[in-house]
Amino acid sequence: MTSPMKPPTLEEFRARAALTGLTLTEEDIGHLHKGYVGLLGLMERIPQRWAWAAEPPHVFCADDIGAP
Amino acid sequence: MTDLTTLSIAEAGRLMTSGELTSTALTEAFLARIAVVDHKIASYITVTGDLALAAAQQADMERAGGLSRGPLHGIPIALKDIYETAGVRTTGHSHLRVDYVPAIDAETVRRLKSGGAVILGKLATHEFANGAMTPDQPFPAARNPWNTDYQPGGSSSGSGAAVAGALCMGALGSDTGGSIRNPAGFCGTAGIKPTYGLVSRCGIYPLSFSLDTAGPLTWTVEDSALMLDVLAGHDPNDQASARAPKVDYGASAHRSIKGMRIALARSWYESEIASVTPEMKKGIDDAVEVLRDQGAIIEDVVFPDIRDYHICGRVIITVEAHAIHRRDVIETPEKFGYTTRRRFQLGAFLSAEQYLSAVRFRRKLQQDTRAAMRGYDLVMAANQWGGPEVFEEPQQIFHFLGKPSLSMPFNVTGQPAMTVCCGFGSDGFPLAFQLAGRPFDEASVFAAGAAYERATPWRARRPTL
Repeated sequence: MTSPMKPPTLEEFRARAALTGLTLTEEDIGHLHKGYVGLLGLMERIPQRWAWAAEPPHVFCADDIGAP
Repeated sequence: MTDLTTLSIAEAGRLMTSGELTSTALTEAFLARIAVVDHKIASYITVTGDLALAAAQQADMERAGGLSRGPLHGIPIALKDIYETAGVRTTGHSHLRVDYVPAIDAETVRRLKSGGAVILGKLATHEFANGAMTPDQPFPAARNPWNTDYQPGGSSSGSGAAVAGALCMGALGSDTGGSIRNPAGFCGTAGIKPTYGLVSRCGIYPLSFSLDTAGPLTWTVEDSALMLDVLAGHDPNDQASARAPKVDYGASAHRSIKGMRIALARSWYESEIASVTPEMKKGIDDAVEVLRDQGAIIEDVVFPDIRDYHICGRVIITVEAHAIHRRDVIETPEKFGYTTRRRFQLGAFLSAEQYLSAVRFRRKLQQDTRAAMRGYDLVMAANQWGGPEVFEEPQQIFHFLGKPSLSMPFNVTGQPAMTVCCGFGSDGFPLAFQLAGRPFDEASVFAAGAAYERATPWRARRPTL
C-alpha cells in the first residue's frame, strides 16, 4: 500500500486548478476537490513503490492477457 | 405485446430459414411497437424505419434466393448511439455531437450489415458512455421497462431498456467499467463484455483506450453468442485488436457443463465492506445449485480485494477519458452534462505517476487473478448490489465514491464477463450474476450461462409496457 498522501485543502486545490488549463466555476472546483480527495483516499490501495523493472506496457496489448 | 417481438434471435432465425417468417414482418412488428411504447422508456434517440425496412426486404430477397448471411440475417438490431453509422447521426447523447453524421460505419456496424442484420436505430446512452443521465442533455434519459420510475442502469441504458422492452432483438453496448453488464442486470437481459481486443472498437466513441470493449445485449445468452459470432474478429484499424482463433459461439451455448469448474468470488459481494441484498444473495445461491445440478463443480475462491480492481480501473478511466475529451472540456465545458463535465475534468488533477502506478497495478491484478483462477474454468460473482436507482434521484457526480463496482474486476483483467438473469426480487426487478471466463474463452461463459437459462423459467417473464 502507498504511504498516505495528504489531501489538498480547497485553497491548495484551487491554486492547482488554475494550472490545469480548464475553465472552472467555483462550483466545479468544489465538486472536483471533493472528488479528488475521495479518489486520493481510495488510491491508498495502489502501491507506489515498484521494482524498477515493473514496466507498464505503453499500449495495453490484447494478446498479452493470455491466449485461449 | 405481439408474439414476434418476443421471439429470440435463434427462434426468429429458425422461422426465417423454414420460410414461416419474413424479416419484413419482423421489422414491421418492431417498428410498430417502438411507435406505440417507446415514449414510455425513451430507449431510442433515432429510429431509422425506412432504412430498416429496406434492409429487411433485402434480407427477404436474399433468403428467398437461397443466400444465408448467418445468424443475424434479417434480425432487427439497435445500436448504442456511440457507434458511428454512415449517414445516420451519432450523438453520444451529447450536445457536442447532436448534429454529427458520420461518413462511414463503425467496424462492428459494418460486420452487422454484412451479416444481414437490420438496423432499427440508435439508442440512448449515458453521455459519451460515462456521464450520468441528467436533464441538461439533448435527449430524454432512458427508463427501466420493469418500472419506469427507475433507471435502467448504464451507460448502455437504451440498449438494456430496448432489449428488455422487446423493442429490438439485440443491441450493441460498450463496457469500460461495467456499462453492458450494469443495464443488463437492472433490465434483466443477457449481455457480454467480450475479452479486451476480441471485438473492434474502431468507429465507436472512446472513453478509455485501454479498457473499452464493445459487445451485445440480448434477451438470452444464446442470442449473445450468435451476435458475437458476427462481431468477433481481428481489425487492423483497432490497435488493441487481437488475432484470436475463430470460435463457433452459437454452438458453445449448447455445450454440456458437466465437470466445468467454477470459482465463486463470494468475498467480493458478501463481506464486512459491503454485501448484496438478501434477495440477490438468495438468487445467486440458488443459481449455484442449478449449475451444480447441471454437473458444474463450484467452490468458494478468494480473489484480490474488490476495492483494488475498483480503484485501479477508476484511475485509468479518469485519466484516459480526460485525455480524450480534454479539448472539449476546455473549450466548451457548458456543452457537457453537469456530471459528465466534472468526471472528464477530474483527470487533469491526476499525475503521470499516479496513472502509471494504476497501470502497473493492473498488470499485478491480472496476474493475481489468473493465479487465483488456476484450476477453474469460470469465475462467478454478483452482477449488482441490489435494485436500480430511482429515476428522479439527483445524480451523484462521482459515483466511484460509493460501493466498489462489481463489474470492474473483469475490465481490469480484460476477461470476458457475462450477465445472466437469476430471478426477480419482491420489488419486481431482476436479480443477476456474472460469469467470467479466461481470456478469449467466451465459449465456456456461453455454455454455462445458456445451461443455466435452459434450467430456469426466468426468460419467460417480460416487463409490461
